[in-house]
Amino acid sequence: MFPQTAALRDARPQELPGRTEISSVPFYPQEEYQCGPAALATLLTHSGAKLTPEQLVPQVYLPERRGSLQVEMLAAARRNGRVAYTLAPRFDDLLREIAAGNPVLVLLDLGIGPFEQWHYAVAVGYDLGAGELILRSGHRERQVLPFPVHEYAWKKSGYWAMVALPPGRIAATATESGWLSALAALERAGHARAAREGYGAFLGRWPGNVNGAIGLANAHYALGELPQAEKVLRGALGRAPDSVVVMNNLAQTLSDQGWNAEALALIERAAAAGGPFAPAVRDTRTRILSRIQSPEPAGPK
Amino acid sequence: MNSAIARMICRVLIVLMAWTPLHFAQAGVISTGLAVASTAAAAERAAVLGVIDRADVASGLQALGLDPATARERVAALSDDEVRSLAGQLEALPAGADGTGLVILILAGVFVWYFFFRK
Repeated sequence: MFPQTAALRDARPQELPGRTEISSVPFYPQEEYQCGPAALATLLTHSGAKLTPEQLVPQVYLPERRGSLQVEMLAAARRNGRVAYTLAPRFDDLLREIAAGNPVLVLLDLGIGPFEQWHYAVAVGYDLGAGELILRSGHRERQVLPFPVHEYAWKKSGYWAMVALPPGRIAATATESGWLSALAALERAGHARAAREGYGAFLGRWPGNVNGAIGLANAHYALGELPQAEKVLRGALGRAPDSVVVMNNLAQTLSDQGWNAEALALIERAAAAGGPFAPAVRDTRTRILSRIQSPEPAGPK
Repeated sequence: MNSAIARMICRVLIVLMAWTPLHFAQAGVISTGLAVASTAAAAERAAVLGVIDRADVASGLQALGLDPATARERVAALSDDEVRSLAGQLEALPAGADGTGLVILILAGVFVWYFFFRK
């Protein structure tokens, strides 16, 4: 009935403190059915974004459904410049994030049997000895739920949980590939500055990751910082000389700075390698060739 | 078609749009999202896009008010896991013309399911 609670009881995670509570997490009592905006505002305000639930209502609340969708919760956090990350569906991970000081937004079904009543709440603390979770939930600033009760309500959402962190911070339970995808989504949401900071922190933790370097370079590129993008890509090319993406992006960055001869040599190498990015490489090559044939008069170099 | 479904599809598009406002804005450099996507996921994505490109499916989507070009962009915005699930459902369908209505219905249905009922 409560497999994860039982597992926690049988094998208490050693590295976790016995009890903890992030009391600095703000409380926004929810209005009507708007637990989504309230919970998300709780999370985002704690991460340093200045937001109220009212500002989030148009971003995540669906009046016809009287609720908020999970994808919209993730997307809204990203729109506000935060790294939104879905946790692995494990009680253990939920507790580890709280212990690391990261409040966790959870999706619960408070209904019984076939009657569903979906609800978002924010877990801010726990007590392993007493087996209790502490949440900001609905109209209650400090709701204390026994682990099995929480698990019963949480299980029906597939143990869905997310954190939203400022870009320089990495979730305690983050996996290398999962965190990189979360950063790519933040970058896609148009937050190049936040993404630049996020990729920087990511490479601090996982310095050998070539895709992380590609992300950092893309963020620099989007911000018009071409020399920085070039430097990062050259480093990445040293580690992954066969990466078509690195070659293509470096060639583009060099060409934008006026160094078309070196760019052409690189893009020819990328074209010879083929692979799934061949169409993009062809486009880049065509553009570089046309720049060589008719150089722009007022080019930077 | 009934306006409730049309509204839902609108909402789906809005949701999907939120994921990719700048996805195609940078010409030249290959986006991080594409670089990160695994090869297997890329193949599944291609399979889903192939279904959307079929002339009969495309015209059906159009009739539903879902512009196939837009649908393609939206598929680009789904995460690898979401594409995998969508590809799985499409694979189980008959490939012939008779199945077209069903394909369109499932495509629309899966989109709706993703963004509405999987709360």
